[in-house]
This record gives sequence, structure tokens and C-alpha cells, in this order.
Amino acid sequence: MYNMRKRSEESCICGEGILNVMPGYIYGNCGRMQMNIIVLMKQVPEIEKVRFDPEKGRLDRSSAGATTNPFDLNALEAAVQIKEKVGGIVTAISMGPMKAEEMLRDALARGADKAILLSDERFAGADTLATAYTLAAAIRKLGAFDLVICGEKTVDGDTAQVGPEVAEFLNIPHAAYVEEILNVSENNIVVKARMERSHYIMRLTLPALITVTKDVNTPRLPTLRDKIRAMRAPITIWRYEDLEEVADPRYFGFDGSPTRVIKVYTPSAEKRLGKMISGSPEEVAREIVHVLIKNKIL
Amino acid sequence: MSPKIPNAVIDDLRGIVGDKWVIVQRELMESYLKDETPDIIRPKPAEDLILVKPSSTEEVSLILKIANEKRIPVFPVGGRTGLVGGAVPTEPGIIISLERMNKIEVDLENMMAIAEAGATLGDLIKVAENAGLFFPPHPGDEGAQIGGLIATNAGGARAIKYGVMRNYIKGLEVVLPTGDVLSLGGRILKNNVGYDLIQLIIGSEGTLCVITKAVIKLFPKSKYMVTLVVPFNTRSEALRSVPAILRSGVIPLAIEYVQINEILEAARHLNEKWPVHKGFAQLIIILDGMSQEEVLAACEEISRICESNNALDVMLAETPEEQNRILKIRSNIYTALKPNMIDILDVTVPPSCLEKLMDEVDAIGSRYGVYLPAYGHAGDGNLHVHIMKEGIKSMEMVKKIKGEIYEMAVRLGGTITGEHGIGKIRLGDLSMVLSEKHIEILRGIKRVFDPNNILNPRHPL
Repeated sequence: MYNMRKRSEESCICGEGILNVMPGYIYGNCGRMQMNIIVLMKQVPEIEKVRFDPEKGRLDRSSAGATTNPFDLNALEAAVQIKEKVGGIVTAISMGPMKAEEMLRDALARGADKAILLSDERFAGADTLATAYTLAAAIRKLGAFDLVICGEKTVDGDTAQVGPEVAEFLNIPHAAYVEEILNVSENNIVVKARMERSHYIMRLTLPALITVTKDVNTPRLPTLRDKIRAMRAPITIWRYEDLEEVADPRYFGFDGSPTRVIKVYTPSAEKRLGKMISGSPEEVAREIVHVLIKNKIL
Repeated sequence: MSPKIPNAVIDDLRGIVGDKWVIVQRELMESYLKDETPDIIRPKPAEDLILVKPSSTEEVSLILKIANEKRIPVFPVGGRTGLVGGAVPTEPGIIISLERMNKIEVDLENMMAIAEAGATLGDLIKVAENAGLFFPPHPGDEGAQIGGLIATNAGGARAIKYGVMRNYIKGLEVVLPTGDVLSLGGRILKNNVGYDLIQLIIGSEGTLCVITKAVIKLFPKSKYMVTLVVPFNTRSEALRSVPAILRSGVIPLAIEYVQINEILEAARHLNEKWPVHKGFAQLIIILDGMSQEEVLAACEEISRICESNNALDVMLAETPEEQNRILKIRSNIYTALKPNMIDILDVTVPPSCLEKLMDEVDAIGSRYGVYLPAYGHAGDGNLHVHIMKEGIKSMEMVKKIKGEIYEMAVRLGGTITGEHGIGKIRLGDLSMVLSEKHIEILRGIKRVFDPNNILNPRHPL
């Protein structure tokens, strides 16, 4: 298997350079463990405002402004908190149009150390599988990493598939719907994840991928100073050609997407029925029971 | 007290609006008998009341004609979100709710909304937004209705840049207590014909006429908006920054002052998390503009001023979600405190005197051994002081505390209410700010509009 935790060429964030590399993790000269954390992010339309184009069967993205997928801010916050606790580097990666640079600059203001945007017309039209394949390729190209964190889903697609699919492409364990990160050590991460009505406590050997819910934390606000600093920070752009060396380009974009949308429709809104019942309390009670039985509620 | 409403009148009302829209059963009108005034001080509603829901100006006119002939008190109500008991029907009579009159049209060319009185603030915000325009003030509860917002001259947090309701109303259609319909102003920005009845009616609290329709000025939607949260160790440092910001040429939509205990309490109440835990005093500053560059440049100017006053940080909320959360938590300080509250005051002083007023409020609190949490619209010197139940031994004590706070506000060149209005619970305090002559003129105006004193009748006005 590709060694995903090989030595990073990065310096420790303390600036003293890397002293020693133990199998699986990195120490800086400062003696602290250094985790390489990757956060996957997406710029989405403001979902409360965006209109749906019923003819084309997709969102009319020009009808609303763009914002960071809210769950991804929780993912970034989780990564920054881990970095603050054990040391390391947080890299934010996104795939999308060049406009997504503004979101990545915001990620830098909120504590990411590096940002990479995968932007190429040939990546466009990707379904969840092709998106996950491309993101996994970028992670592979980056080299060493310990942990990948994603939001549980994006609010425009709502599938919650990309995170787990990335984990499968990278052949690493994953936990979805993480509500709490209980412990992070050099070799594993312990998380509490929601599944239907249950919670599972899971220990994942690193490198691993987790997708987080909104309950995992409250994203911090950036300071104005960090925001302005980040506006001038460089964003690395990777195009199609940059990923060719680590992936098979036939699986990128629309051509690499097996999903075909056959039909899209808006479910008709059910109207609430109101009924006034009058009479003596006994009559009213009898009528309520009758209505409930008739409608198969009782 | 008027006698019970005769059946013949009820039949006439049914003839005007239809059987379905005349409600006589008490249990079906409970929510129309109160507003958001804290329970302890809210006036008690009268017994014999009927609720009528007209669908047109003509119907409102016919209802008022009958009421005027029979001398039956009429209480126009909106969304009942007021805090001074203004909409509570305190005498036997007719409650008129205009909730069925809720249409809004937008005149894009002239940037005006033409709204019926029963449309809600939430409706107006949405309709304006869909037209690519913006209705800037946000006077709290979005369930408030246009008629009520105008009748109470509602204010809110975002008054610094664009003003309060008074600054938006360019035309009104109103029904006088006699049933006459007046059409005032229109989709025009300048109008200089005689006494300005529109401005007189704005803030008249349902005592002069029933507002049925309004022409409301809208603004172009700003392309970019941010909210700053700036923590300070002391109140003085926070409040000293405010006049300096206003002098700098940067005009924020809002500058709100909060203290850490109350804002954390509001967040807990909503099961939310407040994003900044540093400091004792915090300023929440909302800025808008045409581009990120423009707004961030203004933020840098504000940051420079705040840092020169020892700000601990300048935090920036940019996503709509984060900004909405901040506004929601700030707007809910009142609801979080309400269960333990006796009264909420809204004294207003010249902005530069706000610190002095707050210090005096603290001193009054210590003297009486009570908790008087305060926060407010720092940009316009409007302070919300809450009188909480804790430590209060009698209503007499409440009256004394309130009186001292009012006196202090007036002494500093301010007034007893900046946005909530007089309603029915501040009538006794009017003489602190209005002279006898002034009150006499107000009474005269009331008589001209409403010779039989049927509309929201109250005394001494």
C-alpha cells in the first residue's frame, strides 16, 4: 500500500524543522508530535436563497451567493482544535471553480495552514464518485497525512457520500457522522459517531477519515487580522495535469461519473387540513377519536 | 365603561366582514388580548370584547362608522409584539385585526414597497429581498405587522445608517374613526404641502386612525455584509470607541453593546454558543457595502479605533449563518431574561452620555440591592435596562427604581422611551418629559381626529 504517512517535507509549525520521523508520525525539533490533517471543503450556494431550475433539474447557482458548506466549517474547526492540542499542519482542499478561492482564504483565516484548490473544466460535472476520486488523488499527491476530516454532507447535494468514498479510494478506515472526538493519539483516533438512534464509540487506526456533524464543535470566528492576512495568502491551484501522475484521468469529471439523472421533480407540499369540532365535551371527544381512527392514526 | 356590545351591532359587523370573521368566543381570541409586555406589568384586557378581521379598507371604514355612531371603543392590533401594552384592549369594545390585509407589491423602479397593514415584517423582508432590494431596519420580532411597526415608529438595532420606521414611510392610507378614508403622500421622496400628517400618524399608537396601507422606501441590497464582535475588558473602553467610530466616517448598520453575562445567558436559552467569550463588554457591529474590499477597509478603520481603546480582539463573522446566529442571540436577550423580568426600559440619551447613564444605572441597582442588566443600541444611545424580580420587594420599589432611571436619562438630555413607545404602561410618566402645554396640544390633536374618543381610548391623552 502507498505509504500515506511518509515523512513530510514540511517544517514543524514551531519553525524549528523536523528532527525525527518515527513510523507513522512525525516529530518536530520542538519534540511535539506533528499531525498532518487534511480538511475537505466545498463552496455551496446560500441554500435558503438558491432557486431550483426544474427544466434543467439542478440548482440555479447564479440565483444566490456562495458560502462555505456549513458542515465543513465544523470539519475545519475540529482539525484546528486537534492541531492546537497535538501540533501539526492543517491543509484545506476543495474542488470547484476559481471562485472557491475566497472560501479557501476564509479557511486560512480560520486556522488552516495551507489551501489547495482543484480547479479545471475537466473536473466539472463530477458526481460523488468522480469527486471523491479526484479529491483522493489530490490527497495522494500531497503525500504524508494522518487524518482527513470532512463535513457530514454538503447542503447542496445532501448525499453524505463523498467523505466515505474518499476513504475507500485511499483504502483507509473511516467513521461517518462523528459527534465527538474523544481522543487523538499518535496511532489512532477515538470518536463518538451517530448511527440512526444509536451512538458508536470507534477507535480508528491512523491514517483515517472522519465526517463530522454540527454537534462536534462550534466553529470559531476568524479575527479581522487573520482575515486580512489570508486575503493576500497564496492558494495552490492544481489542474488536471497536476493530478495525472497520481490518478487515471478517465475517472475525472462528467466522463468519470456513472450517475445519470433520469428525472427530477419537486414533491408536492401536503396541505394541513383544519377541522372545527364543536359540541359537548363528550361529543367532541367521540368525534376526535372517530377522525383519528378514520385517518388510521389510532 | 361602555355597556356590552349590542347584538344588532354584532350582526352589522357580520354583514360587513362575513360571519367567519367576527369572533365572539373568548377562547378563540385569547392571543389578541395581550402583547409581549412582561406579565406583571401588562394591563388586564376587558371582558366584553369582539374580534373582527376585515379584508379591505372599505370594510375597516364601515366598521369604524358603526363604532363611532354607537360610541364603541375600537382597538386596532397588529402582530402584538409591543412591550408597553399598547395593543391590549382595556375597555369593552371591538378589536380590529388587519391580518387578512397582507398583500405587498414592490415598485422596483422607485424602490418602494406598497404594503397592506397586516403584512408582517418577515413578509416585507422576503418580498424586498426577492426583488433584489433591502428593507434595512430590523425591529426585533419578524411577526410584527406593518401597521403596528408604523403606529409604534419601531426602531431596532439597524437604525444608525438608515433610521427608524419614520424614515421609511412615504405614503399612508388610513381610516379615521369617523370612517373617512385619507390617502397621504405616495411614491414620492419630497412632499411639502402643509402639515405632515404622515409623520404625525407614525408613532400615534392606534389613537388617531387605523393604518390600512403604506408606501415604504426600500434600498438597494448591499452586496456584502459582515458582523464584527469586539470584546473589551471594561464598559468604558467599549463605549468610548462608539463616538470615535461614528466620527470616523464609517457608518455601520448597527453598533450594539452587550455584557458577557447576558449574552451568554441568551445563547444558553437558545441552546446556541456565543462565539466570543473574552472580556466583560462587547460591541457587535454590523457593516454593509458594495464589495468585500470596501467593507473590510471600513472594518480595519473600526479595528484601529477599537484597538486604541484596548479591544482584546476583533472577530469577524462573514457567513450568513454565523451572522444570523449572532443577531438571533442578541435579539433573544429579552426572551432569555423575560421569565424573571418585571419591566424592560428603553431610555435614550445622547450617544456620548451612554456610559454615564449605564454607570448611574449600576449605582441605582447597588443602592436598591437589585439586578439591573442593561444592553442596547450603543450607536444611538438607546439603552435597554431590565428590572428583574431578584431583590424586588414591592411594585412601589419598582416604581422608584424606574423613576430614578428615567430622571437620570432626562437629566442627561435624554428621554424615557426611545423605541417602545408609551403604550398603556408609561402614561403616568409622561409629565417627566412633556410639559402641560405639550400634553394639551396632543389632546387637541386627538380630539380633531377622534372626536368621540373611540380609538384605543386612554387617559390622560
